[in-house]
Amino acid sequence: MTNPILDVRDVSKTFTLHNIDGRTVSALNAVSFSLSPGEHVALAGSSGAGKSTLLRVLYRTYTAASGSINLTLASGNVVDLTKLTDREVVALRGRELGYVSQFLRAQPRRAVIDLVTRAGVSRGMNRSEARDAAALSLKRLDIAESLWDMHTAVLSGGEKQRVNIAAGLISPPRILLLDEPVSALDPENRERAIDLIADLSLQGTAVLAVFHDLDAISRLATRVIRMKRGSIVEDGPTADVFPHLQPAEVQI
Amino acid sequence: MNTVPTQEAGMNTLPTQEAGMNTVPTIHVADPVIQVRNLGKVYGSFTRDSILQTGPEFGTARDPRTGSIIAAWNVNFDVAAGEALGIVGESGSGKSTVLRCIAGDQPATTGDVRLACHDNGEFNILHLDPATRRRLRIDKLSVVYQDAAEGLALGVTAGGNIADPLTAAGWRHFGRIRERAADLLRRTEVPLDRMDDIVRTFSGGMRQRVQIARALANNPPILLLDEPTTGLDASVAAGVLDLIRRLLEELDLAVVVVSHDFAVIEMLTQRCIVMQHGRVVEDALTDQLLEDPQHPYSQKLVAAARA
Repeated sequence: MTNPILDVRDVSKTFTLHNIDGRTVSALNAVSFSLSPGEHVALAGSSGAGKSTLLRVLYRTYTAASGSINLTLASGNVVDLTKLTDREVVALRGRELGYVSQFLRAQPRRAVIDLVTRAGVSRGMNRSEARDAAALSLKRLDIAESLWDMHTAVLSGGEKQRVNIAAGLISPPRILLLDEPVSALDPENRERAIDLIADLSLQGTAVLAVFHDLDAISRLATRVIRMKRGSIVEDGPTADVFPHLQPAEVQI
Repeated sequence: MNTVPTQEAGMNTLPTQEAGMNTVPTIHVADPVIQVRNLGKVYGSFTRDSILQTGPEFGTARDPRTGSIIAAWNVNFDVAAGEALGIVGESGSGKSTVLRCIAGDQPATTGDVRLACHDNGEFNILHLDPATRRRLRIDKLSVVYQDAAEGLALGVTAGGNIADPLTAAGWRHFGRIRERAADLLRRTEVPLDRMDDIVRTFSGGMRQRVQIARALANNPPILLLDEPTTGLDASVAAGVLDLIRRLLEELDLAVVVVSHDFAVIEMLTQRCIVMQHGRVVEDALTDQLLEDPQHPYSQKLVAAARA
């Protein structure tokens, strides 16, 4: 087995709500696992199990309360994400680490092609390369060219999600976090998106993903991590974990 | 008064000094274009106790004994080319004070501010004589103010306002100055037929555009924006904000944006500091500040913006 690209040790996350009587909410408890290059691992568990929280902690949108998140960089050096400065995280987020949310959190008044091009630039492409790659990416997701110069706000839910995937998959980073990326897609577009996500593994990208359906998990994931109330309860090959998944853990 | 205590050296010291004990930093982070250390501004005379007994824990920036205002204290940050840092907080939190002390509009009480574009950051610009300080504003560091009257001569034409920093930078050829002014107005989407109109006759949004054009006249590496869209109608503010976003993406500027509006901060910045009662209470990635604010005050601000 290759060395892990991502090694998560005893990561916990607690939210302290200072303005609601200082109440604390525990969202992750001592989560540990690792991820190898080209591996596709699915996170499963009922809603509230901590899947999205985990992805956000790994992207550092949430700060971990304790534990370590070691990333092996392209240079071979290992860094602990929880100890990096904000400026280092900004630098890391381009080529090393990416995140595709369930919903397009598009900035207002941003044209489709512009949004995807920006994603390419943030991953180290120059503007014209990024523009070409964006066009290709949009075509592969079957976004009509007539939509490219429109603001993302006017798109349908499914179109937004496809634009989001187009931006997320452009010049893929070495680790990609996907949070229900195909939840709003019709069957045909969903197939297209799943094929593209499958290609990521061939390109060596390590993927950690939350999906809302068993079909996507069985087709994409080589390994499944089951979570319950903020903890990992099972971590193994898809074929082994699959029979244990409860209907509530995967919303069909 | 040089021995006033600085609080715990909380945030962003130079990256090489952080990154944990065991790991050598291996992520390339661009050198800062602007570096701010221990910046402080006090109105009135103050003592050690003035500092120790004001700030968020005391719910005030005002020293109860002397009446002095500790408008900003121990502010630290770095900004590199192509980066934008937000300073957020309520009115009176000290965020504009920080910007004005860096710009030289107000003398700072204490601190160290270095610009890579000025003698390679060898000298603290806060110690420069006023004339040298003013010259930085020609082509090193520009400011866009909330109130266009601060950044522009309202009784002068749009073209004249832009010509001003150009002539200060040594431009002499009238035709070339006109050409440059026209080019800047085009980029900031001001109709060229308004070039020779007095700025006072311009709408609020148009005045901001002229201010931006003027600020960019000599391609300064540093741009400071103080509530650039506050007070404009929503649709006009959106247009100005889009313009700023586009310029930030096209030009490799180091930018500091002061705003109480999280929509502005989210759109323009990657990192933020949050100020309350003259102190920095949190520094964060912008998405982290919005999704997982740590300090009680940040949580309150974010909750209010979301409501």
